[in-house]
Amino acid sequence: MQRNPDIERKTAISYRTEEKTVLRGYNLSDLAEEGYSFTDAMFVLFQNRIPTEAEEKMLRYEMGVFLEHSMSPSTAGAIGVSIGRPNLTSAIAASISTFGGVHGPGAAHGYMMKKYLKRAHEEGKTIEEIAKVLVDDYMDNGTPVMGMGQPQHTDSDPRAEPIHLKQEELGLNGVYLRLQRAVEKYFHARRKAEGRRYVGVNVVGAGNTALCDIGFAPNAAWCIGSVCRGFSCAAHALFNMKRGRAWAASKSEPMVQMLDLSMIKYVGPADRKVPKQSERQEYAIQQKEEGEYKKWVI
Amino acid sequence: MGDLTPADKKGIGNLDDPGLPFNYSEREYGTVPIDETRARFQWVSEVAYKNVHRIVARGYDTTELMEEGYGMTDVLFVDFQARIPTVKEDQMLNYVMIMALEDGLSAPAAMSRLVAQSKTFLTQACGASIHAFGHAYGAYSAFGNRLLDELKAGRAEGLDMDAIAQRIVDNNLNDESLGVSNLMLKDPAAKRMIARAEKLGVAGEHVAIMKLIVEKAQAASDEPVDIDLLGAMGAVMMDLGFTAEATWAILAVTRSFAAGAHFIEEVERNEYRRLGQALTPPEAYDGEADRPVPSLPERAASTESALSADLDEWARSQEERKSVWGSGYSIHEEIEDPSKKTGIKSVGKKL
Repeated sequence: MQRNPDIERKTAISYRTEEKTVLRGYNLSDLAEEGYSFTDAMFVLFQNRIPTEAEEKMLRYEMGVFLEHSMSPSTAGAIGVSIGRPNLTSAIAASISTFGGVHGPGAAHGYMMKKYLKRAHEEGKTIEEIAKVLVDDYMDNGTPVMGMGQPQHTDSDPRAEPIHLKQEELGLNGVYLRLQRAVEKYFHARRKAEGRRYVGVNVVGAGNTALCDIGFAPNAAWCIGSVCRGFSCAAHALFNMKRGRAWAASKSEPMVQMLDLSMIKYVGPADRKVPKQSERQEYAIQQKEEGEYKKWVI
Repeated sequence: MGDLTPADKKGIGNLDDPGLPFNYSEREYGTVPIDETRARFQWVSEVAYKNVHRIVARGYDTTELMEEGYGMTDVLFVDFQARIPTVKEDQMLNYVMIMALEDGLSAPAAMSRLVAQSKTFLTQACGASIHAFGHAYGAYSAFGNRLLDELKAGRAEGLDMDAIAQRIVDNNLNDESLGVSNLMLKDPAAKRMIARAEKLGVAGEHVAIMKLIVEKAQAASDEPVDIDLLGAMGAVMMDLGFTAEATWAILAVTRSFAAGAHFIEEVERNEYRRLGQALTPPEAYDGEADRPVPSLPERAASTESALSADLDEWARSQEERKSVWGSGYSIHEEIEDPSKKTGIKSVGKKL
């Protein structure tokens, strides 16, 4: 049996022999036998270290509270894929892949915080001063301030403020939390001054701040959040595969299904005649000249 | 929608052919009106819901769960089993997940790194790594469903555990998803996991039958074999109450965290790859020798149809085409609806 690696690389993460699997120097079995938690292992994986108890508690809280979010883009993605009845893994893969620039943009938020902290350090500004700069930069440009607002939890994300409090309770309030709190303060003040409604911190703003303060780089934090959601999306996909109807279009179900024909609303060009091939060239040239098609180009 | 009439639709290709069982040109245009006779569409879930102020999984507010000191692994029991685990069950799940987290430069890491090379989001690489888990690598679904089916069938026939284990081995000794192999002869990790499950008092009938399967397989095999990580993790997870599919999902996602670390390291330490950059040397090629492309006028004279006129010709062509690697003629699959359980039927098995 061929047992070479599936890809040839130098790696500092792990090695595996016939005798053991070693992660950052620790035999995985020894780590598990000693009673460390899975969340402890996440610190070893991404940071090459065993965390303090407080840090482990923070991550356990964070991952637990982030794991399930009912119907969000990731869950809808998993369910949408599952109705074709591929293997379950396809639905999970799709759910994790939904995390991008808007849904759970953990890395983007982390990079934003790092960028402004670096500016503060280089320009001799306090964290509070740079927070105001950050808020003004984003709001002056009409760009949403990352970490603020959630389209479903419109008057504050139920997970967000408790995460801030837990971070403070555990004594893990570092520079990232100071920056995030200051961002929220100036953000709220500016919106109030402009007569705009209250928009609370979201789970990325709170959770990612905590992850940064306990040492996770932006992409590592993003990985933890988005992959963690994969667990619950698997449960939602599995529920639909075991209890729901494939194709999601059955007319015999008492409730209109997701892909029932009546769910389609079409707003494109009106029905039109297919041109004969003999007329094609003239038709196509005229269509290009008229240019009406351009408003439909996506 | 427009003002087309059936007359506008006459004379298009074969659509007026009397052999069609319907009159195509008279078919309606326009979308289907909203169905007012049935309840409107809603996302139906027994797993979780949320409103503006709460997220609730299986009846438990998730923020309240965390504030009470529960953690991520507890929520896995809540989501997949609708229950709070015992302390020892939670300890065992943590153990299994630590062991499932990293596997070196195996398929999930390799897939994540290959995606990373194209300069894309980390989440796409983590998602891709999940696809590594099939019915050979990380075959928890195939493994678990076989155990369940065999236990059910054997009991219905009045067989004891010993006989059930023997039948599983008789029919599946060399199957990738047996959970017994030559992979862990020097690595005690799988056996240590079983021992920990027994010590914590969470081992049940799946661990019990797995131990019998190991005994039977060792007696039947010509080479040394022992329980492997698939067998240990699969049996323990099922004794923790997770279904075969839930086990498959949880352990694939667990591995995806480390796939994220491999993505990051790939970006940090290696170069992005461009379209056209990778070369495949002729030494790696054993297909047709280089040959001239026939001119279009020569096409009819130089090509042969794939049509078979009778079954003898068809059977002959099926055999001949097996020599074309990549054509798919050497593979037979039975693809079933995997809604309830997956992995029992042959998927991608070589003929």
